[in-house]
This record gives sequence, C-alpha cells and structure tokens, in this order.
Amino acid sequence: MNVFRFILQNRGQVLELTGEHLWLVGLSTLFATLIGIPLGIVIAHWPRLNKPVLASANIIQTVPSLALFGFLLPVPWLGARADRLAILALTLYALLPIIRNTYTGIRGVDPAVMEAGRGMGLTDLQLLLQVELPLAVSVILSGVRTAVVISVGLATIAAAIGAGGLGEFIFRGLAMVDNRVILAGAVPAAILALLADVGVGWLEKRLQPR
Amino acid sequence: MRAALQKSSVATVMIVVLICLFSYSCSQSHVDRVVIGSKNFTESLILAELLAQQIESHTKLKVEHRFYLAGTYICQQAILAGRIDIYPEYTGTALTAILKEKTGSDKQAVYQQVKSEYERRFNLTLGPPLGFNDTFAIEIRGEDARRASLKTLSQAAAFSPHWRAGFGYEFMERPDGYQGLAATYGLHFAEHPRVMDLGLLARALHDHQIDLSAGNATDGLIPALDLFVLEDDRHYFPPYEAVPVVREETIRQHPEIGLLLAELGNKVSDQEMRRMNYAVDGQHRDVKEVVGDFLHQNKLAP
Amino acid sequence: MQSRAATPVIEFRDVSYCVAATDVLRSLTLQVHPGEILALLGRSGSGKTTTLKLVNRLVSPTSGEVLVNGVPNTDADLTRLRRSIGYVIQEVGLFPHFSVAQNIGLVPKIEGWPEARVRARVEELLQMTGLAPELASRYPHQLSGGQRQRVGVARALAADPEILLMDEPFGALDPLTRDELQREFLSLQRRLRKTVVFVTHDLHEAMRLGSRIALMEAGKLVTILAPDEFLRSTDPWAAAYVKAFGDRLESTATEGKS
Repeated sequence: MNVFRFILQNRGQVLELTGEHLWLVGLSTLFATLIGIPLGIVIAHWPRLNKPVLASANIIQTVPSLALFGFLLPVPWLGARADRLAILALTLYALLPIIRNTYTGIRGVDPAVMEAGRGMGLTDLQLLLQVELPLAVSVILSGVRTAVVISVGLATIAAAIGAGGLGEFIFRGLAMVDNRVILAGAVPAAILALLADVGVGWLEKRLQPR
Repeated sequence: MRAALQKSSVATVMIVVLICLFSYSCSQSHVDRVVIGSKNFTESLILAELLAQQIESHTKLKVEHRFYLAGTYICQQAILAGRIDIYPEYTGTALTAILKEKTGSDKQAVYQQVKSEYERRFNLTLGPPLGFNDTFAIEIRGEDARRASLKTLSQAAAFSPHWRAGFGYEFMERPDGYQGLAATYGLHFAEHPRVMDLGLLARALHDHQIDLSAGNATDGLIPALDLFVLEDDRHYFPPYEAVPVVREETIRQHPEIGLLLAELGNKVSDQEMRRMNYAVDGQHRDVKEVVGDFLHQNKLAP
Repeated sequence: MQSRAATPVIEFRDVSYCVAATDVLRSLTLQVHPGEILALLGRSGSGKTTTLKLVNRLVSPTSGEVLVNGVPNTDADLTRLRRSIGYVIQEVGLFPHFSVAQNIGLVPKIEGWPEARVRARVEELLQMTGLAPELASRYPHQLSGGQRQRVGVARALAADPEILLMDEPFGALDPLTRDELQREFLSLQRRLRKTVVFVTHDLHEAMRLGSRIALMEAGKLVTILAPDEFLRSTDPWAAAYVKAFGDRLESTATEGKS
C-alpha cells in the first residue's frame, strides 16, 4: 500500500510520465495503423506479395527491442532525439499484428459475398470500402489491440534510451534501489495495458458483423 | 442504426486520443515549475540537489526532481525534449560524448567551446563552472607522497619501476586512459598493471596491494583513506569541470535562475566535493541534509 | 424452335475457355432471346456456371465473343455492364453488415438514386418477392434460407436490369421452399418479362422454369430444346437425363407456361 501512497504523493510526475508514455504509444500506433492497414489491404489483394511483406514484418518482430533501439541510435536524424527513435521502433513493432490481421480479416470475407458484390457491378474501391473493410474491421481492430498492448510494454524499455515515459520510473527505481519508484512506473504501465486491451476489445465487439 | 453506433464508437475513440495528446502537451509547459535532472551516481545527485535547493530557497518556483537518470545520453535526451530544464554535466563529457569533438587540455577553452556549441546546436546554455574538476585522479598513498615529497606525476614517474599499479577495466582499455598516460609521463611499472573492479581500487591501494591507481578527483575516499592525488602537470587528462546545463527557454521564462546559477559559480572546490561525496557515500548521510549544510556554511542559503 | 427476328439479348459466338490446361468450354455458340428463360442444364464440370459468368465478365473467354444486345461485352464499360445485369448465386452472398433494405437498395444507391426513390423501390421489391415489409430492417443472419434467397432476387432486380443471371439459385433450399420459390419466380417473370439465364443440374427445375433447355456436357453444347421436345429427344445425353430423373416429368414440363 506504500506504493499507492507514493503514487498519490507524486501524482504530478506520475501523470506527466503517463502522458509521455501515451504520446509514445499513441503516435506509434497511429503510424503503424496508417502504414499497416493499407499494406495489409495490398497483400490481401495481391497474394504474391504476401510472403515478403509478412516475412519482413516478422523479422522486425524477432529483433530484441533493446537491440533495435541500439541499432537505430547512430542513425543521423533519428538518433539525435530518443523519442523520435522510440516512436519509429515502436511503429515497426506494431506493424506485424496490424498487417497480418488486416490480411486475415479481408481474406476472411465470405467469397460468396465478394462474388455477389462483383457481379452486381461494385467497383474494386466500392467493394473495399463498403464490403471488405466493414466486414474485416473487427479482426483488424484485434490486431490494433495486440499492437497497442505490445507498445505499452515496449515503451517502458524505451526509457532506457532516454525517451521518457513510465519506464523511466522503473529504471530510476532500480538505480535508487527503491521499490516504490519501480512500482510507480510498473503499476500504471500495467493498468494502461489493461485499459487498452479492454477498451479496444469493447470496440471490436461493437463493430463485429453479425 | 448500425452506422450510427459505428460512428459514435469512432468518435469516442478519437476524443479519447485527443484528450491524451492534449494532456500530454499541457504537461510539457513548465511555466511555473522547474524540473531538475541528475545522473545515477552520488556526485551528480549532490550537484542536482544543490541546484534544486538554490532555486527553491530563492524563488517561488516549484522545483521537481527527475533524478537517477541512467546516463549522459538519457539526460541529454531529456533536456532536449524539455522533460527536464537543468542538470549537472561535465565539460569534458559534454565535449566528447555529446558534441563528439576532440578534447583539449585548457579548462577555459573547453568550457567556452561547449557553451557556444550548446547554444548554437541545442538551444541549451551553461551556467558558470561550479568550481571543481572531476577528472581522472592518479592516486598514491599519502604516506608515500609525504616521504618522497611527491607532488606531480612527472616526479612520480621516477618511482614507477618500483611500484605496482592497479586500474579499472575501462581506464585500461580507453585510448585516452592508461596507454596515453604511460606514454606522456614515461611510466614503466615493473609488472603489467592489475585490472580490478573500480570499487576495490581505493581499498587495495590503502592495503598496500597496489601502489598507484586511477580514480575520480572528487572521490570521497581520498581524504578518508589518506590518499594523495598527483598533479597532472603535463595536462594529459581533459578537464571535467562540473557545470549546470540549462535550457535557454527556461532562462527566458525565469531570468532569476540565470542569476542564481551565477551565484554558485566557483563555490565548490575539489575538496568540498570530496567531503560531500564522503558524507553521503561513506557516512550514509541524507543528500538533502548534506547539501543544506553546505549552502548554509557558505552563506548561500537565504 | 422458332427463329425470332429480334436481336438476341445474349449471344455466344464460338466461345472457348481454357484454364490450367483444361478446356472448360469448347466452341460454344448460343443465343438467348428476349423475354425467355434459358436453363443451362448439365453435370458438374459441364461448363454451365462458366458460361453464365462469361456474360457479366466474371470470366473472360480465351477465344470467341460474347455479345450483349449486339455489342461485344468487352467493349462495354465493365461496371455499367454488371449493373445492367442482375446476378443471383446459390449462396446468395447477402452483405451481412447491411440490413435487408440496405442490401436491396445498394445498387440504386450507388447509381445515385434519390433516397425516396430507393426506399420506394425497396418496398416494391419486398412486395414483389413476397417478403413482409417488417423484414426491411432485419439483418441476413436473422432470416431463413428461403427469405435470404428472396432478398437475393430482390437485390438483383433492384436497378431493374434487363437480364437476370442465376446460378443454381434454389439449390441450397429444402424441397418445399424450393418449390415455393420456383412457383413465385414463374409468376414474377410473367409480370416482369426479364431475359433470364439460369444454371441448374436438376431437370425438374429446368423443365418447370425454362422456356428452353440448353444441355451441356464436358464444355460443349449438346442440344437446345423446349422442355416437351427435350422429353422426346433421341439425343443420347438428353435421353440419359430424362431416364435419370424418372417420371412425373410430363406434368412439370407443362406447368405454369403461358
């Protein structure tokens, strides 16, 4: 219970670090969605691109996050600002679940529905926007949910390279050998991840086609 | 109706996102407060506490701490992003690690170079040096120094064949560490220097296991264990003067801070720093207390 | 078979379709006359579905031409072509995220019809296909199989196309519902006089609905005959079909034909 008193006493800083954390996660998820969903749509329609794209995203995922941060540090414009770097790395990590789920969601649309739509004279764009995407949106959101939860966790590591966020409490607490400080970072981060999971999950259910 | 539900869900999400981004950008404004950072070792904490108390006691500003940041790069990133406004740095470190320039030996020149580069590149500026130079210290036992009336490294070089040396791993490996030192002063130890854990060097020196070692000039154990720091008369080691790094924006918003930092200029000698380091590390006293006492004794507290 | 002076609505001229080294269709030559219901009858693999899909260019011929209203369908704009042809498939393929009304009204809506006109048309079609007006706001998963296919037909007719293509439309339904829908379809056709091509493997259905039956086997058109002629045909394939389907075909052949 010491922890909660500590958090309350330092709520200003906890909120500030939470804000930084949300900034990192929010921006990177946004970018990953803006890149990943179109990519997923492309490979769903041109299956020959499927393997190289998914394989690349997969490779990025297998690189340990701290190592990826380290790789990117020497890069000129990126390495100059840790938050830029962190946002790029987090975006890359969020890509795979989003691309893969977009691909699965669109491929999962009933072929009969697609055939009927095509036969009716809907253009490819109309099919995409009015049929494929609305029917795939729940699966796509599930990918976004995974991406957000991963990002909240990874963003705590980003503090190791100076990007701020709740991870900073964790690292500072380790240096200070003070559990309260560690938990002041870990607990809000865990809560954030939970909230994101539940929140996006709710949205998924809402938008599920019957 | 379905479409309406979908639209309201999307709207909710967008509003939540906007709130998050808005609250974040709000938290960035440091209009009525100052955030001070520090690295994660004792000396940095003491200096940051010094800056904090100096500002707190003379202004109405709310001072926040973001101490124990994991290193130079982290602090630099934090101050660039505006997450902290001030933190204590060393001129030599700033020059080599952040500006990635080659170092010189002239304290003044190094300070000026760092200051002007920081102002040019980062919109950061430096307060005046706090008064001590936390550079590498080549240490021998006090009794040896007194017996042979040794003061400088050049004098000590003659004794090197009779001595065993011990250094930390990093000092051995760095090009500006042992190799350069030995070359500059003509040091020829009987055996190859022993590589030891940093924390054990001072003890080993005191216990006659080694006769010469490299540590930090402001290490609290120097007076405590009666160790003597040989003068770097050939100026081999670059200067590592402690300076406060500040955001220009912070000075703009609170010009009084500039004056307060100037007041601290040259107030902390090598000896004073060692004393404070020892008080915290050796005597396990509270950093706040130690700094409070220092400010009081030097008539800096109001 | 009487020849008509009018241009055939659909015409196949020596059409072949080959895919993956298989000849799915071989030199198909066929005409569909205005207002008739042409049944494409055949076994699985006979090429009947492919023939259907060649009309609205869901499939493109390897050689030969398909003409719609005298114009090769490759010349026409694809979207316009498909929107002027109603398409009904066995699985129906209703959009699960659209209500019945939204499903039916989709083509008119994207054709830019004013909302009021779309609504009126949907009501009209619901009535035509024997669906209760309350069903307009229901979703496909809430409907029975028979109701779904009725919506499918309504949807295909929404923009009032001249041609209707149907691929085993009642195949997935139980016999009672199938019977019902077949009967209703006949009466609908009496009203609307569309040109219909429908695919089936069921001779009963072909007899009942078709004004002509085109028998296909292994990608070739074996024969085209009116139902009563089909029954008496000496063509080996036709005879085999008749035999396989047993009796009661006489009555089916004459039912509901005007």
